[in-house]
Amino acid sequence: MNTIDIDFEACNGCKICYKACFVDVIRWDESAKRPVVAYPEDCVQCNLCELHCPVGAINVTVDWDKPFPSVLEHGRRYPS
Amino acid sequence: MRKLDTLGTVHETDVLIIGSGIAGLAAAITTKERSSAARVLVVDKNFSGWAGQANKGAGMFMFLGPDDPVDRFLDYHTRKIGMFLEDQQLLGEFAAESQATIEKLDSWCRTFCRNADGSLAADTFKPGLPWHLAAAEHDTQMKVQRHAKRLGVEFLDKTMVVDVLKQDGRAAGAIGFSLLDGSCHLFQARAVILATGGQNYRILSMWSAARGDGIAAAYRAGAQMRNAEFGSFMQLVHKRSKEPLLGAEDALYNAKGEFLSTWRRELEPDVDPMAAAVWYREMLAGNGPLFTHNEENWLLQHTTKTHAEKGAYGDVAPGPWDRPKAEAFWGKLRSKTAAVDGLDAVSEVFPALSGELSPVKVDHRMETTVPGLYAVGNTATSGSAMAGAVPASPGRVRGKALTSSTWMGIRAGAAVGGYVTERPVGLPDADKAAVLKEEIFAPLQRAPGLQPIELVREVQAAVAPVGYSIYKHRERMEEALGLVLAARDRIPELAAGDPHHLAAVHEARAMVLCAEMFYRASLAREESRGWHLREDYPQRDDAAWLKWMMLEDREGQMHLSTEDVPVRDYPFRP
Ligand code: SF4
Ligand code: SF4
Repeated sequence: MNTIDIDFEACNGCKICYKACFVDVIRWDESAKRPVVAYPEDCVQCNLCELHCPVGAINVTVDWDKPFPSVLEHGRRYPS
Repeated sequence: MRKLDTLGTVHETDVLIIGSGIAGLAAAITTKERSSAARVLVVDKNFSGWAGQANKGAGMFMFLGPDDPVDRFLDYHTRKIGMFLEDQQLLGEFAAESQATIEKLDSWCRTFCRNADGSLAADTFKPGLPWHLAAAEHDTQMKVQRHAKRLGVEFLDKTMVVDVLKQDGRAAGAIGFSLLDGSCHLFQARAVILATGGQNYRILSMWSAARGDGIAAAYRAGAQMRNAEFGSFMQLVHKRSKEPLLGAEDALYNAKGEFLSTWRRELEPDVDPMAAAVWYREMLAGNGPLFTHNEENWLLQHTTKTHAEKGAYGDVAPGPWDRPKAEAFWGKLRSKTAAVDGLDAVSEVFPALSGELSPVKVDHRMETTVPGLYAVGNTATSGSAMAGAVPASPGRVRGKALTSSTWMGIRAGAAVGGYVTERPVGLPDADKAAVLKEEIFAPLQRAPGLQPIELVREVQAAVAPVGYSIYKHRERMEEALGLVLAARDRIPELAAGDPHHLAAVHEARAMVLCAEMFYRASLAREESRGWHLREDYPQRDDAAWLKWMMLEDREGQMHLSTEDVPVRDYPFRP
């Protein structure tokens, strides 16, 4: 699973990362006025949240070993 | 009689657009340009302006410039790309209007790179191809969305539309739910435009938001599908990062050091499925893994210096396009992938399916076979037949996705903008809506049950293997279809604990349906043509198969039929 680290001290509450995420990984906490990494398992490393955070508070660390379907073996759910 | 507002929040509009990618926004703006009084509502699962694929790719737009005659393009396209399954009239109209489409789009966003004299800064993907590429900055989508807002287009974000609602056989609205609080939302409209992208099976990361929602909604609403057998787009990707390595197919070697790209001797417009077939055969023969020699990859050497991915391999040189935002995007991605892929002279690669299934059949106004229901962009690229025997964009024309999606959006917007305010607003059948509502929300009652990601992995196991979906054979496809149908049988077990997972449930349902369409159509087409490559029928058969394959729901069964391509009426014939 990718890790989305947010520096909540540096965060200015602009909501850009929440809006930028096109697969609903990042949600918004209205009372804290801060983003919530709600579904990190769905992150696909588009990096838009990290790229567009105006204060550089986000860092997406990619897990390159996420499950990937087998392309050679038929009917196998995971590569060997 | 039951009323719609007993079921949830009802939104009344003139034109309902589902999906806020470039196609949906082009449709919204054009509707407003044609009819400023029309109410236009764009609904997106996430946030408009950020959604869609335009800000995740190279930002290249193909077009025919003044020195690219339409006839030359059509001639080339029919012979090398669509293999005479194109609707040549539609493709010709698109080609002739491609530059005007870009100019129109740029009038909304002003993000295209231009020369000092104001003309579009153009380049070729490969020298000799009968079209050109223009490039736009990475904030195009955002700026187009702002323009739409200025024109009075309304937006509803974080809302998933699952099904189309009808009234007397005509599309009259839709039903879905909020991803934030799970509340039911219903829409009443005079016309509905589906612009949710294609089906990419969540395999390649950057393209994984195309989950076939609109395809499934159209099919369930009774719309016909066309050309589903061509939804098998793949690219060679880096072994570790699974990021595509453009042009790798031109410089393939096996583990014994033997050169394999012998089928690519003449100038090819783009990747083709033979690359996957070669990989498959070499792997089975024990000659794998396969490598690509980067210094022999013409495209890589060329594009690193002149195209969007310049800087991708650390080789930054000024090109014709100055796009700091696009470069920041690619630079960030490449700095991360390079850390695991390396920047070596030789890269291990394998074929990864992205599908690009886009089968919703539309006419020249982008209307589906359900009156009042339109489909644009990669929801309907293959279904429009403008591309022929290739998957949705790019098919084999890099940069076509953005231009053709914009163009389709403009066509649909012009069609509905011309009449929509004169029609009575739709009054969807509320009893049917109540049944759909129950079906949509049922997975919330089932938790714990089958997690949607489990079902997604079952479908992926049925589509990702090259021997199933790209290098096809009857026996292997029957096996794969069996896996898809087994997944279909498990849909009633799907469970969701919250609205995010409820969306995933309906995406998984759509994925199962799309995979079934793909295999049923692929099994029926007993020949090889374009991206439909069969080991058991390796030849193109023009005598039997200058036909379009249609699919539609008939009482719960997927019904197949064919229609002759009117190739005798077209300028270019085999
Ligand atoms: S983009 Fe950055 S500053 Fe803005 S809300 Fe997200 S973390 Fe905070
Ligand atoms: S990298 Fe992309 S997918 Fe991942 S959390 Fe950020 S915006 Fe979402």
